[in-house]
Amino acid sequence: MSVVTPPRIRLLLAAAVLVCAELQLGKSGWASDPGPWEVGAVLDVAASSRDMAMGARSHGLQVGHSDLLIRGPLGAPFAAEAIFAGHTVHGRLEHHVEKFSLRTRTLPAGLSAMAGRFASQIGYLNEQHPHTDDFSERPLLYRGFFGGHWFDDGVRLNWTAPTPFYLRIGAEAFSGRQLIKNSETAQRPGAGVVSLKTGGDLNVSNSWQFGLSYLNNRRRSPAHHHEEARGDDHAHGAEFNGKHVWVSDFVYKWSPNGDVKSQQLRLIGEHAQVSGIHPESGSRRHAGSTLAAVWRFIPAWEIGVRTDWLSVNRPELHHEDGVTGLEFGAARLREDALMVAYKPGHRQTYRMQVSRQRASGMAADDVFSGAAKHIVQFQVIFGFGAHSAHSY
Amino acid sequence: MRTAINFLLGVAALCLSGTSWALTVFVCEPEWGALVKTLYPKADVFSATHHLQDPHHIEARPSLIARLRSADLAVCTGAGLELGWLPMLQARAGNPRVQDGQSGMFYAASVVTLMNPTLGVATPFSGDVHREGNPHIQADPHRLLKVSTGLRDRLVQLRPQDAQEINAAYAKFQQRFSAAIVKWERRAQNLKGRWVVTQHASFDYLWAWLEMKPLADLEPRPGTAPTPGHLDQVRQRLAQRPASAIVIAQHHDRRPAEWLARQDAARNTPLIIIPATVASMSHDALMEWFDAVITALTDQIR
Repeated sequence: MSVVTPPRIRLLLAAAVLVCAELQLGKSGWASDPGPWEVGAVLDVAASSRDMAMGARSHGLQVGHSDLLIRGPLGAPFAAEAIFAGHTVHGRLEHHVEKFSLRTRTLPAGLSAMAGRFASQIGYLNEQHPHTDDFSERPLLYRGFFGGHWFDDGVRLNWTAPTPFYLRIGAEAFSGRQLIKNSETAQRPGAGVVSLKTGGDLNVSNSWQFGLSYLNNRRRSPAHHHEEARGDDHAHGAEFNGKHVWVSDFVYKWSPNGDVKSQQLRLIGEHAQVSGIHPESGSRRHAGSTLAAVWRFIPAWEIGVRTDWLSVNRPELHHEDGVTGLEFGAARLREDALMVAYKPGHRQTYRMQVSRQRASGMAADDVFSGAAKHIVQFQVIFGFGAHSAHSY
Repeated sequence: MRTAINFLLGVAALCLSGTSWALTVFVCEPEWGALVKTLYPKADVFSATHHLQDPHHIEARPSLIARLRSADLAVCTGAGLELGWLPMLQARAGNPRVQDGQSGMFYAASVVTLMNPTLGVATPFSGDVHREGNPHIQADPHRLLKVSTGLRDRLVQLRPQDAQEINAAYAKFQQRFSAAIVKWERRAQNLKGRWVVTQHASFDYLWAWLEMKPLADLEPRPGTAPTPGHLDQVRQRLAQRPASAIVIAQHHDRRPAEWLARQDAARNTPLIIIPATVASMSHDALMEWFDAVITALTDQIR
């Protein structure tokens, strides 16, 4: 299932698609035209005053989640999309294929399917593109349980109900290798997700969405060796995981008369619970929550606050006097963030964010060793070429 | 038990009889809803946006996905106007009828020529660039006539059994609207050659039709919010060459235009705020809207 292509082939593919894109441009419109191919790029650069625990951005000037996107129709029945993404960690570039997928467009009865590599629709934020995030770091629960942004190789089937309100039921099966890099088990598929999304408008100014999703994770990472130093583990993959992950999410948005450009208030809350964290963990769990409020008070300007917490019981192997014992390192991390963003157009975002972290619990110093008192970040996001449509 | 069976039979009948019901039409902007209602009053029309919203800045809300899910036909402007949200609705709705290239997806911009097509790649600083051209075509009545022809063809294709009815409504609309255009043009004689300060190129087709001249735009680039520096440049240009009016759409932020009007208070340049599209989808809405726009301009520009 995994889509592994050597760089040269990737380049050739990209070039071929670009040629297609150019050929397609300018003749859009006639009835049987399934639409043009598009090419776009996003550049995200941020300066951070220091590293933070579980953070995706290291201190100094770094390239954040930046990507090159190519997408378009493959005849009437399919749409294809590829995203090549990269970011720097301590000045070193890391890159990966984030999306390489085929989506159906003409299945009947509200069905749609996807295959290839793509982001799971678990939770609210995961399937959204990071450049549209309201804060410069994803919520703690995403960083802790999904490696920030979980994309994987797999298949998806969604059904949108023919109801007057929105109701989507979806099922996904993934290899799970992007979630748990090194697994003690080798089951396939490694991870399955079922999810439900529903939502609607209360009136012209108020709208909402609720989601509930469940991840069945059949892969298991080895218990942490207590003596190991915490290196620069910025690789994607869940730092804390378990067999069962439940996520519920709620979004509420208010704009006077639905005029989102002038003013908008967004409230976003998510809660995740992870159980089955180890065969001997008993009832111990991981859990995390995020609650954010963002207010666009005049066109182009937004201010937002977010509070996050993450509570974990990390399975750890302790070696003492030649005897190996299993313990669970209990720790809790709290993070608060305040941000101001200026978005003069669709393709520019300038953000300043101040965050604060506090770790507590028996194993806090070990599990969340880098918890930072205060972090200041300046972030700039630029978009080039084709611009993606955003989800709610 | 019997009620349960009756209920299930009822549900099955509902599902099977779906296509013989009224044509369900999803329109991205209300002007197309008004046009659909004019040509085919039987249609069940839902508009994703209204005249107080900026059609560039709409979210792919759950309610809109649900609406598109059940549509037989979607009528949108195209030319990139809805690119921030419509593709997401299409991807999420799971409705094969309204995907690009299908007969249930009609783009108004595909049957007219557009002003100001642009070339080159969009950079972060180029604003809302529409390669195909300015998508705000609803403000040109001549182009609306052309769109009505394309839309008539599409409606007939989807509802051949009602072709006669649609053609009759189309002929009546063409005749009434063409006559109205002559009247509007006569009333707007005095506006010819007048300079206006505008916002977001929203009414470029209106200026071209009435032969008025846009002097400056409050947005540095279409889709980029007005900045103090740019507004000051507009003020300087206005000082050198007086304009007959500052005209913005109802959904624009009024503050920049009001600031400019205050700066120009000595000359008493009027600030005219007009809706960018129809306020309702009644079959007379388009006529009423153009009437109101022409009245607002001719009353306040002397």
